[in-house]
Amino acid sequence: MRLIRHLQHWLGGSGPRLRVADIVPKTHSIRQWADTFPWTEMVEAIEQSVARRFPKRSPCGRRPVPTRVLLALELLKHEVGAADEAICERLRTDVAVMYACGLEEVQLDNPQAHFVWPETLAQFRSRLDEELIDELLAIQAAAAMDEGLVSPAHLLVDTFPAEQGSQRVSDASTLYNAQKKSSSSSRSSRRNAPRKRRR
Amino acid sequence: MRRFGRQCRGQGKVFVKLVRQTETQLLEVGSTIAHLAHAAQQSLHQATALSDHKRQRLANDLLVATQAHQQISKQSRRLTQGQRLSHCKIVNAYDPTIAPIIKGKSNCPTQFGRKPGILSEPTAGFIFAARSPLGNPSDASYVLPLLDKVEQAIQRLSGPKRPSIQSLAGDLGVNDPGLRQALHERGILSVGIPKTSEPINPQPSPEEILAVLNAAGLNRMRTPYQVQLACACGYSRPVVESHIACLLCRGAGQIRYKGPQGAVVQLGMTVMTHNAAALVRIRHKRLSKRAQKLRRFLGLRHRNVNQINDPKN
Repeated sequence: MRLIRHLQHWLGGSGPRLRVADIVPKTHSIRQWADTFPWTEMVEAIEQSVARRFPKRSPCGRRPVPTRVLLALELLKHEVGAADEAICERLRTDVAVMYACGLEEVQLDNPQAHFVWPETLAQFRSRLDEELIDELLAIQAAAAMDEGLVSPAHLLVDTFPAEQGSQRVSDASTLYNAQKKSSSSSRSSRRNAPRKRRR
Repeated sequence: MRRFGRQCRGQGKVFVKLVRQTETQLLEVGSTIAHLAHAAQQSLHQATALSDHKRQRLANDLLVATQAHQQISKQSRRLTQGQRLSHCKIVNAYDPTIAPIIKGKSNCPTQFGRKPGILSEPTAGFIFAARSPLGNPSDASYVLPLLDKVEQAIQRLSGPKRPSIQSLAGDLGVNDPGLRQALHERGILSVGIPKTSEPINPQPSPEEILAVLNAAGLNRMRTPYQVQLACACGYSRPVVESHIACLLCRGAGQIRYKGPQGAVVQLGMTVMTHNAAALVRIRHKRLSKRAQKLRRFLGLRHRNVNQINDPKN
């Protein structure tokens, strides 16, 4: 079944259909970027892992958003540096993003404001774990090696620091800001203080 | 290099009085937590409307929250002027797995956060494996788990001739005799890891090559040509910095997702997008002269995408 069938409840409507691959040029950066991923294997790995860890209790309910769309959105988010909301909005309007998400056709006069809600993307992210991420990375590396583009013969290892949770105020950051503030205020007070005459 | 957190080394001072005042207020607020948690636990047992699964999950969450508070309150009474931060000390109340990165410059603020490790190839910067461990382990402890991940990727290849890891390069932080021994047992040359601050000779003489092979005990496994390539691909700070810079510009320097799992997800996604961009560069021959030369030496074929997409015949 094609991906369009899964998304029918969003893409329903009348009027002409737009073939996404015809609109996005082959030289478009997002198209070139998206064409490097082994999507089928990656989606299969995610679906197997999720089915094992979160078994479905009831067959009822609406069809889920396809894993292909959610994975592509999550990856694109890091590629273009967008927030969840921004990338979900771009999926509605940007044909290159639709191509990256694997959508083949869209209805032009669609009344829906969103195809995927940002909350859905956050839920998808919460189901990813370290084992699965390693598997996805291994699939990508294996595909690149299979194509003869990269070789693991000679490797480099290194580490780098990464800040986490800076949006929340922690004790350490409060203290650091207090230090900075006190040092800057002491500097300014020195500047503003009247100069003593030399005797 | 990015740095953040409070100044606790060098010329910086820690305002112990300020911390003490804040600490007293916070401890007073948190003193009732134990009673409230106990009461919550009792009422959770009495709640028959909840399913067993949900009750167990809530009880676990409650236990984790109570333990975190105990750990924070115990640590907050230990801060003393002039003392170094101990290993795996809590620096973020929301995430106890964040640790100070102890190794670093002696005259700059201590870095707090995570220390992801990457294993990349030196030509186009394709990252084969990444790891975001809990706390702040030594750099040498990253190497073998990362190599295991690369081995898993190699195992996925279906062809008769599978590639092998021939050499590994790293900075002085991974210069560990035990690690070198483990690498040699796996048939991996460790000539790219420097033993001193002197740079590695990129063009070793035949005698030096023989000495390297003898020292590693890999005379029959590795050829002199592979040693030459390993020396040429030895640790290079600008090359590694370029790979890290690519990750940082994709937001890997600031992890926005919550907790250790969030760090793993964000790092993994960033690495995969970086890899895709590296593959696009390789396909379109957008590589440096050095990278092109190394790829030629490694025998990596170069496809002409235009010819494949639009065949003339």
